[in-house]
Amino acid sequence: MRKIIFLFIIGILFSGLAMAGGFQVGLQGQRQTGMGLLGTGYMTGPSSVFYNPGAMSFQENRFSTSIGISPIVSTIAFQYEEPSLYEAKTDNPVSLPFSFYGNGKITDKLSAGLGIYTPYGSSTNWGDDWRGRHIIQDISLMAIYVQPTLSYQISERFGFGVGFVYAYGQVELNKGFPLQDADGAEGSINLEGNTSSFGFNAGFYARPVDRMEIGVTYRSEVLMEVKKGDAAFSVPSSLAGSFPSENKFDADLPLPASVNFGASYQFNDKFKLGVDVNYVFWSSYESLDFDFEKNTESLEDLSQPKNYNDGFIYRIGGEYFVNDMLTLRAGFYYDSPVVDDDYYAPETPDAIKLGYTGGLSFAPNENLSIDASILYVQGLERTVDYKPENFGGTYKYNGIVPGLGINYHF
Amino acid sequence: MKRIITLFIITTFVVACEPEIDDFEPSSGEADFSTYVAVGNSLTAGFMNGELYRSGQQNSYPSMLADKFATVGGGDFTQPLMKDDLGFGNRRVLGPSQDCTGDTSLAPVPIQGEPNPQNFTSIADQGPFNNMGVPGAKSFHLVAEGYGQLNPYFGRFMSDPNTTVLADAMAANPTFFTMWIGNNDVLGYAMAGGEADSITGQQMYGGVLQSMLQTLTSIGAKGAIANIPDITDIPFFNTIPYNALTLSQEQAQQLNQSDAYQQYNQGAENAGVDKISFQEGANALVIEDNSAPYNQIGGIRQIKENELVLLEIPLDSVKCYGMGSQNPVPEEYVLDEEEISKISQAVNGYNQTITAMAQQFSIAEVDMAAVMKEAEENGLRYDGVGYTTEFVSGGLFSLDGIHLTGQGYAIVANKFISAINAEYNAEIPTVSVTDYSGIQFP
Repeated sequence: MRKIIFLFIIGILFSGLAMAGGFQVGLQGQRQTGMGLLGTGYMTGPSSVFYNPGAMSFQENRFSTSIGISPIVSTIAFQYEEPSLYEAKTDNPVSLPFSFYGNGKITDKLSAGLGIYTPYGSSTNWGDDWRGRHIIQDISLMAIYVQPTLSYQISERFGFGVGFVYAYGQVELNKGFPLQDADGAEGSINLEGNTSSFGFNAGFYARPVDRMEIGVTYRSEVLMEVKKGDAAFSVPSSLAGSFPSENKFDADLPLPASVNFGASYQFNDKFKLGVDVNYVFWSSYESLDFDFEKNTESLEDLSQPKNYNDGFIYRIGGEYFVNDMLTLRAGFYYDSPVVDDDYYAPETPDAIKLGYTGGLSFAPNENLSIDASILYVQGLERTVDYKPENFGGTYKYNGIVPGLGINYHF
Repeated sequence: MKRIITLFIITTFVVACEPEIDDFEPSSGEADFSTYVAVGNSLTAGFMNGELYRSGQQNSYPSMLADKFATVGGGDFTQPLMKDDLGFGNRRVLGPSQDCTGDTSLAPVPIQGEPNPQNFTSIADQGPFNNMGVPGAKSFHLVAEGYGQLNPYFGRFMSDPNTTVLADAMAANPTFFTMWIGNNDVLGYAMAGGEADSITGQQMYGGVLQSMLQTLTSIGAKGAIANIPDITDIPFFNTIPYNALTLSQEQAQQLNQSDAYQQYNQGAENAGVDKISFQEGANALVIEDNSAPYNQIGGIRQIKENELVLLEIPLDSVKCYGMGSQNPVPEEYVLDEEEISKISQAVNGYNQTITAMAQQFSIAEVDMAAVMKEAEENGLRYDGVGYTTEFVSGGLFSLDGIHLTGQGYAIVANKFISAINAEYNAEIPTVSVTDYSGIQFP
């Protein structure tokens, strides 16, 4: 029963849309979400486990913890390459990225923490009958990272931290198969697999002068290697021999590394402002290949070239401390596209993305705060093609992500 | 009140979350699509899988075009539909087929069932018809009086026993027409292995085209004309390889040592032509050739690599009864070098005429030959589905190896649309190729 519940939770996790380049999500803390999702050089609490392990040891409290969820409501609109009247919209189910952090002081200078969060995921559902069905009908990718972390305050102004990442990932996709039966109904392919892998998250954090924070972090690539995933083919019965049932596949999916720089400055008692730059090494995602265990004359391995490029994300955000009980936040980010015009596959939306965020914290007492955030992300209209499959058109997407979290410390 | 405010906020979020892309606006440009008429042969009629039948006709390229013309002012489009999916009864479907060696494989087999008798009765009273594609028609047939008395596919919808296809087309008063005619002017000859029928002469073809276009444009109609693909690229001529004769070492040896071939090879040496020899594995078929100098040495030779074997060759005879080894393959199953060259020359000539006529009458020219060449050389790809000229697996040609599948006709429709858009500054939307019928597997 517990296993079933666990699977159910995983199942609903990332049925949403990637919020950043490629299938990166970036919703790793409500306070950061309120400020354009920045946090490399801007300490706000236990979510430093993810945003900058180097900052953890600067925490004033003996123990702090936070938990939050960010349901994503998103839609991608598509219009087929002109001249055509064909239009489609995704029907992406609401998804639920979450984060949990705990961070405690072992000594004055040494802190230990744990983060469980969902940095990558994507689920796009175009429906079974849409025009790009032979490329993708629906896909869901998701990864959960579990990150135990140590952070050490080297001096009054300088800290370093590193976390070990255990990643669990799962992928499922469905696509139409262009073989018609006697009634003209088409076949389909279902591919499903999961795997786990390892990586790390390391950061330096400094307070070079009073009121100023700076940080740099590196999060390693995590290569998800699916071995013996399930491949099921639904084809007309006379062709069943060419498409063995209970087939297996191997596929590799890189969850890319990133290097992140950030700084912030507390102008006065009321106002603090920060900036972040993220560089994400998406160029490691060259192709998505499905290597089938049993190949036949009719069943060759599938290869979808991706040719992603590295991408920059620029973020700005800040806080206004109204009083002891209320903090307001606002932010903005600009996320550059990582997919070439000729390699834009419909399974993962990509564009110049503009994110507008807001948030607030309400602290009923000095140990507890309730954090709310809202993100509206807009993918600018893009007219592109997926040349390998000759499928092109205009895409535009957006999403809205309300978030709620609780922060407790003592 | 509070509830209304909540509802308003939620609605605002949801609406804000639905991205909108500006709609594409179709336009007719300089052409008037209100009454569209298609003139042509079986390819225009929607013939596929060896027969003209209802669902095939509904997948004809003119019907797809009419569907898109309707977005820019096009009117009703009436096709001479059969009553069922059996037509005159010659349709083929994929089914298990056992060969002489006992092997069973999936192959085109005749469809089961009795055609509706009404398929054979006149539906002229439902006319005039917009799809004037007549299976089997050559260029000059379209202007031949009484052609419907010879061709039952026209006979069932001709307005009068003495009418012509063109006259019935004009009865609809077309404002726009498409024409694709000339394939059968070489195909009849090619399908007979060059041994029967004849290739329509260039003068005849040019004259007929000139007079038809004059008539069609006489009341101000605009139109498009498609040229003729190289028919020797189609699966009917490219599925059975020249070396379809598979022999064991023992069989090869027996043939090589037979008196007949020893004697032949003696004669071949004297005549200065290639000897006939067999080896283990794939072998070039022995074919009938009664031209000089082969007529001196028994009227046979081995087929050359660049010569073509027709899909209709009885393969059981080759596999089990010595055809192509002990006995030559009859000429009607083979296109030899000379015949192929005649066909190519004729098609090139027709296509030059088509280009000249398209210019003369200021109508769109559709380069269907280039599409088919591309399909043959590199394959085509639309929306994630690949198409080649391979028989059955290629998806482009139906089970007769000559006519297209619904998806193949959709590719044809899109080529018409892009040529029409370019010629008349129109913005007619394209059709979705993969939504039409393909090869259907049991």
